[in-house]
Amino acid sequence: MISGGAETSEDARFDRLIYERVRLGMMSALAVRAELTFSELKALFNVSDGNLSAHARKLETAGYVTCTKSFEGRRPRSVYRITAVGRAALNRYLDHVEAVIRATRR
Amino acid sequence: MPIDAHAVATLRYIRASMEAAGTVAVPGSAGIAMGIIGLLAAALASIPPFRSHWLVIWLLAAAIAALTGGVLMARQSFLQGFTLLGAPARKFVLCLAPGLFAGAVMTAVHWSAGNLHAIPGTWLLLYGCALIATSAPTTRIVGVLGGLFVMLSLLAFWLPASLHPLVLGAGFGGLHLVFGVLIGRKSHGSQI
Repeated sequence: MISGGAETSEDARFDRLIYERVRLGMMSALAVRAELTFSELKALFNVSDGNLSAHARKLETAGYVTCTKSFEGRRPRSVYRITAVGRAALNRYLDHVEAVIRATRR
Repeated sequence: MPIDAHAVATLRYIRASMEAAGTVAVPGSAGIAMGIIGLLAAALASIPPFRSHWLVIWLLAAAIAALTGGVLMARQSFLQGFTLLGAPARKFVLCLAPGLFAGAVMTAVHWSAGNLHAIPGTWLLLYGCALIATSAPTTRIVGVLGGLFVMLSLLAFWLPASLHPLVLGAGFGGLHLVFGVLIGRKSHGSQI
């Protein structure tokens, strides 16, 4: 950590959730799109159904994204949206990364 | 990997993810500006001394409108932190270009064959198809606008040539203007 201060429990939970590459990508993609379907996310990050489901569930459980399930004809359709909490978490992560760069280049 | 290099790579990955998922923002101001240019071209082309020069007037208007729309869209992309070389912009150009290229070729073909009466319908049809294609990397409302251009083109092919200036004005002027306002309101509440 740049500050050298004690990590709060929220920071630690946040690191585990967003630090992972696919989850970070999902959060970044959802930050610029109002919503993305499961298929769109899968195509974006080239991951398997099971892998994406697991990552999406973790973000959903943390309250960072919401998932709305519906049917398009007979096909199930899952639509993901970033929440205000998720957006704030992504911003905190970006601040953290930028702080690392600033500190090491000082 | 040094810690700052890892952080830079992470920022690059975030940016790449945003660009890959991002859509091209079509600002309402682009539609409004292009609509005003279209209406001015329609007005100019309907003045008796200029009627015989309608093709040149509309080609000039198309070039000015394309430049204006392009600049306003580039500005919007810049404000959103995307570059013109990013994935959304590339998708947009790839969707738009074939229709516009076909329009340019068909204009030359009709002009050389003396089929000037077929040009307005061709323009409206191919521009409408290009807009429908660009609804994929932009928004659905652009596809609706494209659909209306296609319908207007069918009307242009059916109507006598004397009414073509009116149809061109309604399409490139009226539709652009109305949808520019609608897109602006949708994007920014009551602001454009």
